[in-house]
This record gives sequence, C-alpha cells and structure tokens, in this order.
Amino acid sequence: MSGPSDDRAAELRQLFFESAQELLQALNADALHLEQNPSDREIVRSIRRTVHTLKGDSAACGYRELSELAHEFEDVLALEVGPGSPTELAEVALAAADVFEAMLASYREGTSVKPADGLRERIQKLAQQPEATKSRGRKKRVARSLHFAWSEYEQLAIRNALQQGRTIYQVSVLIDPHCAMPVAGRQLVHNALAAAGEIFAIRPEPGASHNSSRTIEAALASELSVQQLQGKCHIPSIVAKVTVEALQPARSRGAKVAAAPSPAPPPELAMPAAACANEAPESGTTSESPPPAPTAGIPSMENILRVDAERIDNVLNLVGELIIGKSMLHQTVAEFSRRYPKEALRNRFSDAMAFQSRVLNDLQRAVMKIRMVPVEQLFRRFPRIVRDVARQCGKDVELVLSGQDTDLDKSILDCLAEPLTHVVRNAIGHGIESAEERVKAGKEPRGTITLDAYHQGNQVMVEVSDDGRGIDVEKVRAKAIASGLLTSAQCAELSETEILEFIFRPGFSTAEQVTEISGRGVGMDVVQSVLHRLKGSVTVESRSGQGTRFRLKLPLTLAIIKALMFTIENRLYAIPLNAVAEIARATEADVHQVDNHEVLQLRNQILPLVRLGHAPSGPDSLHRKFFLLVTTAGDKKLGLIVDGLAGEEELVIKALDDQVVATELVSGASILGDGRVVLILNLAAIVERVSRMRPQDAGAVVSGLLFSHSEYQARRSTPPGSTVVEP
Amino acid sequence: MSRELHIVGFQVGRETYGVPIASLHEIVRVTEITTVPDSPEYIEGVINLRGKIVSVIDLRKRFGLKENTNNRKNRILVVESNGRLTGLIVDSASDVLKIPAEDVEGAPAVFEEGGLNCVTGLGKYKGRLIMLLDMNKLLAQAGPKRDEKSLNGKPEGMSARGAAAK
Repeated sequence: MSGPSDDRAAELRQLFFESAQELLQALNADALHLEQNPSDREIVRSIRRTVHTLKGDSAACGYRELSELAHEFEDVLALEVGPGSPTELAEVALAAADVFEAMLASYREGTSVKPADGLRERIQKLAQQPEATKSRGRKKRVARSLHFAWSEYEQLAIRNALQQGRTIYQVSVLIDPHCAMPVAGRQLVHNALAAAGEIFAIRPEPGASHNSSRTIEAALASELSVQQLQGKCHIPSIVAKVTVEALQPARSRGAKVAAAPSPAPPPELAMPAAACANEAPESGTTSESPPPAPTAGIPSMENILRVDAERIDNVLNLVGELIIGKSMLHQTVAEFSRRYPKEALRNRFSDAMAFQSRVLNDLQRAVMKIRMVPVEQLFRRFPRIVRDVARQCGKDVELVLSGQDTDLDKSILDCLAEPLTHVVRNAIGHGIESAEERVKAGKEPRGTITLDAYHQGNQVMVEVSDDGRGIDVEKVRAKAIASGLLTSAQCAELSETEILEFIFRPGFSTAEQVTEISGRGVGMDVVQSVLHRLKGSVTVESRSGQGTRFRLKLPLTLAIIKALMFTIENRLYAIPLNAVAEIARATEADVHQVDNHEVLQLRNQILPLVRLGHAPSGPDSLHRKFFLLVTTAGDKKLGLIVDGLAGEEELVIKALDDQVVATELVSGASILGDGRVVLILNLAAIVERVSRMRPQDAGAVVSGLLFSHSEYQARRSTPPGSTVVEP
Repeated sequence: MSRELHIVGFQVGRETYGVPIASLHEIVRVTEITTVPDSPEYIEGVINLRGKIVSVIDLRKRFGLKENTNNRKNRILVVESNGRLTGLIVDSASDVLKIPAEDVEGAPAVFEEGGLNCVTGLGKYKGRLIMLLDMNKLLAQAGPKRDEKSLNGKPEGMSARGAAAK
C-alpha cells in the first residue's frame, strides 16, 4: 500500500479497532445463531461477510497476521459444499472471534502477536473434510488462491487513482517453480514492483512467509509502458511468467460502481484471467461472488457519526463551566437587585437570565443525551459468556434479555461490564443447578438467567436474576459467625436481607465452603466496590429453591447531580440530593450512645448517626442544636449530623486528581458560582469506613472522620472562620 | 554546544529549586484551598483554577520543613505532568533562569535514596545551586505513603492549615 502519513495511519487504525470490535460482536452473534439454526446457510454467508470485511480492514492497516488468518478462515467459509458440520463451524467461528480479539488487543498495545496455530489447524481441518470427499472443493481453493480480490480499501484507492487519470496496471507474476529461494524471490519481485510505481494492492503481502503461493499479483500505478513493466518484473531464474494488463478508466464502469454498492462484485476490478487461463473456466463456475456489501452489521451509516468520546466529554465540560457561569451570574444579579431595588434594568436582567437558563438546561440535556447509549451494547456480549460458562459447568442455561433499549451514560456502561459479567458467571456457576437436580426439584431442566434494565426515577436498574437454588441464608449466617464478623446473638437479630449483605464483604466471599455449597461469592465485594464508585448500589434478594436476583442501581449519569450542600465545622460539603430522605433538627441531648455508635430516636425509629465532625464539648454542649440529614445508603437509613445547611444546587462533578488526593470518602468535587470548591461526599464509603472504625478508648464514639485529630486541635486554638483564609 | 536549560526557579525554605519551563503551566497567588479528607499531610487540598480542580501540594511540608512562613510572596506553581495539573505551594517564585547545559550536574548518588530522588540534577547559576526537580517522580511518591496510612482504617491527617494561616 502507499504509505499514508503517520497521523493518518493512526487515525485509520483507531477506526479499524472500533469497527473491528463491532465485527467481532457480529461474528460472535452469528456463530451463536448458527449453533441454534445449523441448517441456515444465510448465517454462514453472514459470517463470511464479516470475516471478509475484517480481513480487508486489517490488511489495509497492515495487520498481516490477522488478515492472513481471516483470509484462511474466509476461504474455508467460501467453500460452497459446506465446511464440516455447521456446529463445528460455529465452534471454530467462536474460537476465531477469540483469537481475533486477542490479536487486536496485542496490535493495540503494540505487543507482538501470538501465533494462532491452534486455530489455524482447526480451520484447516474444517477445510479438509469437504476437500477429501469432493475434489471440486479443492480445485476451487486453488482457483481462489490465484484470484485474490482486492479489499474494499484497495479497490477504492485504485478507483480514485483511475479517476485522477493515472495508469493502473494489474500485474501477475508467476515465480519459477524451480527457484531455489522462493521467499527471497518474492521479495525481489516486490522490490521491482515497488520501484516501478506506486503499489495499491499486492498479494501476498510482503513478508508473508507461510504463504506458498507462487503467484504474486499486484495493482500499481506506473508511468511505464506495459513492456517496460514486464521487463522490470522479469527477473531471470526467479520469475517464470509476467502478465501485465492496464486497467481502463472507463466512464460507464465508474458509474456502475457508484450505483451498485452491494451484491454484484465491482466488475471493473475483477482480475483479468489471462495469467491463469487454464483456471478460468472453473473460477467462472464457482461464482466466487466476493461478499455482498461488506458494510453488513453497520446500520445506515449516513446518519451515524462516530465521535471520539473525549470530544463529547469536552463539550460536556464546557456545558459544566457554563452552568457554573450561570450561577455566578445569578448571584451577581441577586446582589444587584439588593443594592438597587428600584432599578428598572432588574427585570430585563432577570428575563435574560431566565431565558439563558432555559436554553442552558436544554443544552445540558442534549449533550447528556449524546453520551447515553442503550444498554444493549453491554448486554450483547452476554449470550456468548453465558454459553461458554454454561458449557464449562456442564449446565443448560438460557439467557433472556430485556430492556436493551434503556439508555445509560457511556462511562457508566463501560464500568459495568466487569461486575455484571461477574454476577452472571456466578449465577450460572453457583445459582443454576444441574439438569438432574432441577428435574428432581420439579423445575424445567433448562435454567434461565434474565438480564433486565429499566429506568426508575432518576436512576437505572440493571437486574440479573436466575431461577436456581438461591442463596442458603443459614450457610451465610454460619459463615459470618465462624469468621468472627458477628456473634450468634447479633446474628439472630438480623433480617435475612441483612444476612445476605454479608456476601458483599471483602474476604468473606472468598472463604472456602460458602462459595461451594451455597453459591455466591468470589469477588462479590468487587462488584460492590465498583457500584459504589459509580455512586450506585447493589442489593440481593434470594428465595431458597426459587432463585436469586441481583439488583444494580445506577445513576443516570455521572456528570451532573442535584446535590444538597451543608457545612460541618465551617467546611462546605455536598451529598447527592436523591440520597437524602428527610431533614430534621435535633439537639445534642437527643443523641444516645449504643456501644461505639451514636443513635437518635426519630419518631418511632432508632436511627444510627454518623458524626463527621467532632462532638461538642463544654458545659452547654447538650443544648446545641444541629441539623440531621436522614440519608439512605443502599437500603439502610442513617442520620448525618451537620452544622448548617447551605442549599441545594446542580453540581457539575469533577474528578479529583487520582494520583495525589484520591480518597474513597470523596466522590468528586464541584465549583460553585462564587468560585468555591465543594467536595461531594461518597456516602456509601463513609458508612463503610465508619462501620470499620474502632475508637481507641472503650466507650468513645466514632466521630470526626473528615477531620484529623491534630487538625482539630489546631482548629480549636484558632478562632473559627480563620481556617480557610490565606494572604 | 551552547544549549541552555530554561528553568523556573523557586524558593522553598532556604533552597532554590527549579523545574523546566516546559512543565510549568502557570503561577498563581495562594487562593482559597479546600482540604480533602483522608489525604497525606503535605497535600493542602484542591483549588479552583478557572473551572478546573487542581490538587495542591505544600512543597514545604513535602520537603520536611518545620516552620512555614506564610506571606504575600507565597505562590502556587501549577505544573503539568503526564497531562495532569498539580499545584505546588512554594515560598516564592523567581524569574526564568537560563542555565547552560554544561553547568548542570547529575544529582549526587545520596539523593537516590531517601525523599530526594525527585532531584534530577544540580544547576549552577550565578554562584547559587539550583536543584532541578522531576515532576513525575515528585508526584509519583505521593502514592505509597498514603496507602500504608489509610490501610489501618483510621482517618488520616489533613494539613493543619489553621496553623499555617497564623
């Protein structure tokens, strides 16, 4: 290929990786489909189209190993007699998808590609079966190997060059069968061709060592005449025969190409068969039809724009700044109105403000919508996972998907893949029983796993349910006691749901027997920690013998939240508004201490408290009033003691620099209209931390999580209010 | 052979340090800093740099200086490393210094150990020694220290800015 500039190549590769991912998804889906409907030839053709596109694209990017492998696979698929049994073909296709993916990964990382001999062998085996029985298949293979069709990109390049009025030659060079060093010979021919003009396409690709083809075919633009070209390529004792044919830039043909994007092979680029005349009739009968529309799987491209996610993030950031600007303006106008209450301009100001904020809201919503992607993108990988895991475990499992069109922020979706996979694997591995067991229990022999997604208020729920044996609560309970997390007395007080929560405890899950006997386990804490990071939660419901349901609750987006702001010891913090159930007032006298924790009676409920600041000391501290934020983290209620409320605002979340100040206690920061920075607390992590904390002194209360002891001392020795002012 | 290094010099305590001008984003006055819970002591917190949240390290604490003299000359050097912005509180910042490349020596081996392995070289400028800092190394060291502290589940010390302000 002609060498595009490095930038261009990098861009091309990026595009390739993206489209390749889609192709692999399609390949997986088709293979699974084929497994279900083994007799459907159309699926085989679809697989072939996919593989063909992958081959062409990877060749265009210079990923030789991938394109060669895809090429071999495509060859097998092209056999009309039907390669092997369809189920076996499906197997190989799935394996191929895995190998291709691994190759893509190593290309992307720039590491060397592992040879895929295993797959190659399987492909070859697949090809041999029909070949052994029907010689026709074999001949066809030969014919094909002499008839390389240029890939889509190459055709395009050739077409463009033709339109520019350049002379394009199709050259076919037959290497002398007696040549001692065919590999070196091929290289020489390559060199000669490269020197003669600009090569648009060449087969085999330079350096393709395993390929034993004795013919080199190329399309190149050159100033030379046919004879000169022939002379250049004719290297004595290496080349046996050279055929050169000039392609004519025919108007009528060009029009045909433009008009016929699909089924028919681009006629003007079909190789002239002169070089291998004896093969011609056969290749004619094989109806080698190069794949129709290699664009299969990419729906109506005209209206879809592929944009780097970073660019959208950029726009979203700008919108965020605008929102900050809006609240700045808001404050200024309020100040202005206070100062000049009679000024007539006031009304015009506020009209303009109202208009601006309406447009801003629309803009924000529009940008958010760009980031939203249907959950389908996540779900579509599961048929494959379920199939593989079920096979590994020797179980029969059906996957039911619903709610695929539920929209979710792309960044959340990306983070969700791993935990969701985990839950699904667990459900198959531990939840679903073996077929015999199921029949014994009076169930269908085939287990069902359901993946569902739906909106609930401002949140998205993703559910994974199975109809398996459920989690054995007693086993979890016993385990919790055995590992010292609970005393049996405590345990008796906990509800089943609370006991089940233990499976999310780190370390708990990895413990031996629970995983084997009752199911769930390994790495459930990972699932929970990812969900916490996403400001979501995960809950589990289980009925013995009937199944288990994991419910992942996620915010619609990570970028902008409605938040309640409050102060603790003169510092401003915020929590998501939808975590706040109610706000109450109380005095220190209402607070009681149970063990290490403070509680408060709110109406008829005992509410555990979290004191993020420090307990007041001094004679009249009992009369001090505070605000109580009743929050819900997961399904637990919790009272947050705060000193003052600072209002409710839409906050644009900005991440803290991971490297330097990252802490799980803070999920992000935001900038207020007056330029102040407010930290958004991560309630789930705070609750988690508080429950782990043990004060040194017996009888002391957990407090001051956000403030270190030393700082507290320092703060007390300086008058309040001077804490955050620097010259 | 008259290659010159362009260095932004700044004082921390009695010493002069320098960072390559290419890694400097800007120099701002010390503004309001929001402390972040759970961070090591030398992390001052985060600031709002025209709509960006930038974490700020107090280099004086980072280099183990006990007495902090806060005055009007204090600055925050906003440096860029690996695409991130980080603020460094310094006692004062000076002009751009042009140091001929041959006047820069490698850091003494002693520095390799201990907390000073972020010093990549010593530059001589008008009779003064200027320690050239490698931002990536300086910031990378924030990692391990933090971990051991936060592991034991206790709230970790935040900077005592109240005291610093006095």
